[in-house]
Amino acid sequence: MIELNELTDAAQKAFPADKLSPERDESWNLAAEMGWLMVRLPEDDGGLGLGREASTALHLEMGRILAAMPLIPAQLGLQAVAASESFEDRTEWLERLSSGDYAPLNMLPARLVQNPDGTVSGTISGVFEADMAVAVVVRLPNGYALVPLDAQGVSRVERPIWDPGRRIFDVVLESYSPASSLMLTDADTASSLHDLLSAEAQIALAADCLGGANAVLDMTVEYMKMRRQFDRPIAMFQALKHRAADMKTRIVLAEALLRSRVRDEHASVTDLASAKSLAVEAYRFVTEESIQLHGGIGLTEEHQCHLFMKRAMLNAQLCGSTDLWNERRGRTAFAQLS
Amino acid sequence: MSETPDLDQLDLEGLRAEVRAFLAADAPSGWREASATQEDFVRTQRDWFGKLVKAGYAIPHWPAAFPGGGRSLSEQKVIYEELARADCPRLLLSFVSTYHAFATLHECGSAEQQARYLPRILEGETWCQGFSEPGAGSDLAAIKTRAERKGDVYVVNGQKVWSTMAQFADKCLLLVRTSSDGPKQAGITYLLMDMKMPGVSVRPIHQIQGDEEFAEIFLDNVEIPVSERVGEEGKGWAVAQATLASERGLTLMELSYRMRGALSRVARLIRDHSHEDDRGILRDFGALVTQVDAVCALADQFLDNRINGIERMGDASIVKNAYSRALRAYSLLGLRLGGIEEQYIAPITFGDLNTGNWMADYMNSFAWTIAGGSEEVQRNIIAERMLDMPREPKGWVA
Ligand SMILES: Cc1cc2nc3c(=O)[nH]c(=O)nc-3n(C[C@H](O)[C@H](O)[C@H](O)COP(=O)(O)OP(=O)(O)OC[C@H]3O[C@@H](n4cnc5c(N)ncnc54)[C@H](O)[C@@H]3O)c2cc1C
Repeated sequence: MIELNELTDAAQKAFPADKLSPERDESWNLAAEMGWLMVRLPEDDGGLGLGREASTALHLEMGRILAAMPLIPAQLGLQAVAASESFEDRTEWLERLSSGDYAPLNMLPARLVQNPDGTVSGTISGVFEADMAVAVVVRLPNGYALVPLDAQGVSRVERPIWDPGRRIFDVVLESYSPASSLMLTDADTASSLHDLLSAEAQIALAADCLGGANAVLDMTVEYMKMRRQFDRPIAMFQALKHRAADMKTRIVLAEALLRSRVRDEHASVTDLASAKSLAVEAYRFVTEESIQLHGGIGLTEEHQCHLFMKRAMLNAQLCGSTDLWNERRGRTAFAQLS
Repeated sequence: MSETPDLDQLDLEGLRAEVRAFLAADAPSGWREASATQEDFVRTQRDWFGKLVKAGYAIPHWPAAFPGGGRSLSEQKVIYEELARADCPRLLLSFVSTYHAFATLHECGSAEQQARYLPRILEGETWCQGFSEPGAGSDLAAIKTRAERKGDVYVVNGQKVWSTMAQFADKCLLLVRTSSDGPKQAGITYLLMDMKMPGVSVRPIHQIQGDEEFAEIFLDNVEIPVSERVGEEGKGWAVAQATLASERGLTLMELSYRMRGALSRVARLIRDHSHEDDRGILRDFGALVTQVDAVCALADQFLDNRINGIERMGDASIVKNAYSRALRAYSLLGLRLGGIEEQYIAPITFGDLNTGNWMADYMNSFAWTIAGGSEEVQRNIIAERMLDMPREPKGWVA
């Protein structure tokens, strides 16, 4: 527990709440120095060996300040390497990735085909901050692999996105020949690695959402106390106060579910994804309300409201939609209960 | 954190098996039909309460000094889950006795009052709560029912309303005004009233779902002994907070776990109406399950915080609003999936969220957005106490 508080304190000191979207490369170096890339890496592998609660605490703080650095895909890429027992250069890569070389897990399904000669072609979309990456962790037709970005047949194309705190790339493979020494799994074991990473991703994203949602609510309530109309602060109007109370309720509810699932060792991917779905929905709700309650200024680029909304809507598209996970939750619950 | 999680887990599974075995033998079946009249309802409720007391599952939240008390929160959850799974009736009739009256007496009653009343509750003495009045609902401190001290008694005159189960109650937790000086909250006194006293009359109120769950209480020169006062004269407001806090804490945990258990009723509808492959319906069901799971997690967190002394202002209001909204969503999905069947009037609807008729449950879900402080009043509390937003300007006097 002390460790968690320390982590939170350190994060708040390094990234003070009053400065949103701190500069990416500077943040990245700072995070690497503080060992954050290795939060979930076992101590035997030179990591910090912390649990899911630590990861949650960290991503809550990063969500709060709209961190621009790609901590989540980096953490997942590192975990993919760590989880691979067959990988030849495991030790070397763990060292490189722990100390700041960046190899993200791609966050959206890739559209790839294996050519008759064994090479692979197609597009890996949703690779975060590929401009600073040395490789990307991706599920190829024959299993998970590290694909170096400077390899033959690999190129990247930036896809400008609405969220100004993120950069996303397509990594395009043209008859790329995967090096067998860089395979993390074979085709058969790819699914279990996928589930492991998906579970971690759900937690990280949920925490990022709730950190952001809390920040938006704070910001909105502050504004409502300051902004005056009809001779009083708008925070005094009950119609508006009640909307703030509903925002708070949704955030606290989603946090309670996330915390209980994070503590539950037996939580399935669907259990964790349900917590993410609730968090993403709360984030969306709060950012929508926030823009509305700010009035005209909420629609300006100058004000910060939109930054959170853009992050909320981006997060909603990562690691499975709310619709998808609700349906899965419905199916598993139906199977258990009927 | 526990050092022997596996052992704890084993104990819990042992308890679960125990409760299941008891329920397999003794769970009431056909209780909905068997409570078709009010007399039958009261009889089946008393019967079931008696059995649960004997088995040790009626008051798991009381201290260990009472038979069946002293259960950990995890144990309580297991019990509520199993009761819900076995589709047992909720203890509506003894609800105020085992939660509100217990909390009030336990926290604020004299040793003598505790010794006199707590055992009687286990014997089936039924209590009701006489707080609300026609002119004092959300603004509870505005109560006008007067009590004048004359020697060893308070002479009470006035009217109470919305008092759940008052028509069947033996005793009443009564808020009265003993003084009109100072702020509204001052001058309120807390009394324990015998419902059989001369001058007490009760008139049931017919509800939208056809039941008479609550009633009006008329008080005409009722003489309540001074020994039946809880706390000091004029300091009843603080005692009332203890009563109300019980409603927003443990009760909501029981209800949340019951709602989770009752999700199987929705699953049954999906099956009975062959919706197993309807993705839209599965999606809505999944969203509901997540919402209910979250409410359970929130109720857990709330009680943990309370036990550890880190409850914050407004926490209870958040739990209440989250629960009552989930209950609305639950009954609405059931109503939607149940089709025309649910529009037919069911013979009896006592049983709270779990009556067997979804239209009745849907109508009843409003009880939880109104009773115990309405949703709007909870929102005010969350905004003002938790988010520190300014209060409405005063200065408007009716
Ligand atoms: C099923 C049920 C069981 C009950 N059981 C008991 C019982 O056993 N004992 C008992 O004493 N009482 C009981 N009550 C009474 C309950 O506590 C009150 O109904 C409740 O506090 C609301 O008061 P009211 O009905 O007078 O509504 P009002 O206070 O008149 O409220 C009417 C509407 O105005 C809104 N409103 C009022 N004030 C404000 C405000 N300041 N800001 C915003 N909105 C506001 C309310 O939210 C509501 O929507 C029960 C009620 C129900 C529904």
